Amino acid sequence: MGIVSTDLHKAGAIAVSVKDVGMVFGDVHAVRSASFDLPKGKFLTILGPSGSGKTTLLRMIAGFDNPTSGEIFINGQPVSAVPPHRRAIGMVFQKLALFPHMTAAENVAFPLKMRRHDARTIGEKVERYLELVRLGGYGGRRINELSGGQQQRVAIARALVFEPDLLLLDEPLAALDRKLREEMQLEFRRIQKELGVTTINVTHDQREALVVSDEVIVMDGGEIQQKAQPVHTYRSPANAFVANFIGVTNFIDGKVSAISGSTVSVESNGQLLSGVTAADGAPLVPGTACSGAVRAEQIRIASARAGLEGLETIVEGQVADSIFEGERIVYEVTVPVLGGAILRVFNHDPVSHLQFGPGENVRLGWNAKDMHVFKK
Amino acid sequence: MTGSRSKSIVIWAFVVTALLMLSAPTIVVLGASFTAGNIITFPPEGLSLKWYGAIAQASDLRQAFFRSLIVATICTLISIPVGTLAGIALSKYRVRFARTIQIYLLLPFTIPLIGSGIGMMLVFGEMGALGKLWPVGIATCVINLPFMIWAVTASASNLSPDLELAAANCGAPPLQRFLYITLPAVLPGIITGSLLMFILALNEFLVSLLLVDARSVTLPVQIYNSIRSIITPDLAAISVVFIACAGVAIALLDRLVGLDIFLKSK
Ligand SMILES: Nc1ncnc2c1ncn2[C@@H]1O[C@H](COP(=O)(O)OP(=O)(O)O)[C@@H](O)[C@H]1O
Ligand SMILES: [Mg+2]
Repeated sequence: MGIVSTDLHKAGAIAVSVKDVGMVFGDVHAVRSASFDLPKGKFLTILGPSGSGKTTLLRMIAGFDNPTSGEIFINGQPVSAVPPHRRAIGMVFQKLALFPHMTAAENVAFPLKMRRHDARTIGEKVERYLELVRLGGYGGRRINELSGGQQQRVAIARALVFEPDLLLLDEPLAALDRKLREEMQLEFRRIQKELGVTTINVTHDQREALVVSDEVIVMDGGEIQQKAQPVHTYRSPANAFVANFIGVTNFIDGKVSAISGSTVSVESNGQLLSGVTAADGAPLVPGTACSGAVRAEQIRIASARAGLEGLETIVEGQVADSIFEGERIVYEVTVPVLGGAILRVFNHDPVSHLQFGPGENVRLGWNAKDMHVFKK
Repeated sequence: MTGSRSKSIVIWAFVVTALLMLSAPTIVVLGASFTAGNIITFPPEGLSLKWYGAIAQASDLRQAFFRSLIVATICTLISIPVGTLAGIALSKYRVRFARTIQIYLLLPFTIPLIGSGIGMMLVFGEMGALGKLWPVGIATCVINLPFMIWAVTASASNLSPDLELAAANCGAPPLQRFLYITLPAVLPGIITGSLLMFILALNEFLVSLLLVDARSVTLPVQIYNSIRSIITPDLAAISVVFIACAGVAIALLDRLVGLDIFLKSK
């Protein structure tokens, strides 16, 4: 009895559980053995380049396709035998898929109508959810009379109005211009917090993933590369793909020369970089070919050693190019001691008005432990 | 500058000539139907409505007209479910033999009607159904069905497959998805196709000729029979009624779905 109830309790805490799920289309492995658990009320973002299998994974959770291997559990129950219309999952489609022959209010009312709510409840709920997405008073509009952002909001209201167990978002913001997109990202976050609905969001926009999520899954080639909180994903990427996909990262190729715990020494072009951090789970032994990754914003640039006090790794280089991006300047610096590697460096110091021109000799410095080493 | 000007003059000349050639028969028959004389001429001798009175009195013409209406109704009623489902299936699913079916859809333009007409005459003759009206309805439906399917496919291809998934996601089981989402989306095509089928069946001559007997002549056959005896202006009047029917259908279409479905469809 006691065991049963704790089991139930445990099952209750996990909204979605994906176990070894795979999907094969002909000879394309769209998703390979994906597994993760998503606790109730959390906002998960699946981040990956186009073609990495994000939509395929989402469609299997929604029930549009069945996995060719593995099983998906929703609220602890296996769902492969449950058709999509019985899954109580709200979804916002990439192209929104609003019903063009209905008004905004009729679109939002549709899920309630299908669930046979009475007319009064439907009316009240439609109004409440249109308010929630800040479209109060727009219910009578036809879909083509609404702007892109407003259509987005209708789609959100339609996906939420029946209080689903789970909300799925398939890159619905991809088509919006940047300002509106960033506004809508925060809007998603606000609504999700307000309703506490478990959410899986799919995107190829790293900024969106970092801004809105409790958890981020990075996918590539149909495989999950890392699942972690946004800060952890950013600061401790699990492998070179994640390090490269999120943020602007410099890679320096070399060979592991010594290891102690999670601290590694790397030899690159005859230079010894010591005190470097081994990435989580990278199986390194001395002699392993590896690459060290350091973020562009973790490298400081100065004309002399004077500006780089306290940084353990310092190399000399020559500015190849400087790119003005408004709030920061991006320098591309050629470093001869690292085999002519070109390192990208951000300079966020608009107070000093310091600027280096192409051809200028500079010094670059970073904290040794900010470099993460991955097996090649 | 002058080059593009003379080019546009040439184009306009073509357009006007084409319009004149297309509308000439209609204008002639319209004019001839209002003649006060006793033979069919253009321009008409005087103006009167007497030939319209004559066709309203002529019970054989009237009955033939009603028979044609029945035939057209049967044809349309059959074509709506068959054509709608076939059209949706063709555009939505990867149907096996899709290419073969597309070739069939081209057949009405390639197989002479006399061929299919004789085929159907043999079939219905075998069944002992010649001389009844329903075989004519079925036959006109069979030969014109591609138009219905074409109209439905044209509007179904605008239907994004995501819409039905979205409906499923909203909790709609398959039948509701069809009724609330798919059907409304293809409705313009169904209306277009139905009116087209009705008009085509109303006007159908060759196949009717092969399938009717003296008791069941449809209007086009009746007119044909009359032409072979004496050509009187009542034939012009009845032709005008035909043209009016088509006009009503087009006006209806414009009101219900807009004519741009014809202009846009490929
Ligand atoms: N229905 C399908 N048939 C064949 N291949 C498919 C199908 N759907 C997706 N794929 C393939 O699976 C891979 C993953 O696609 P998808 O899940 O759409 O990626 P993403 O959403 O991350 O861009 C791609 O290589 C794509 O071509
Ligand atoms: Mg996708």
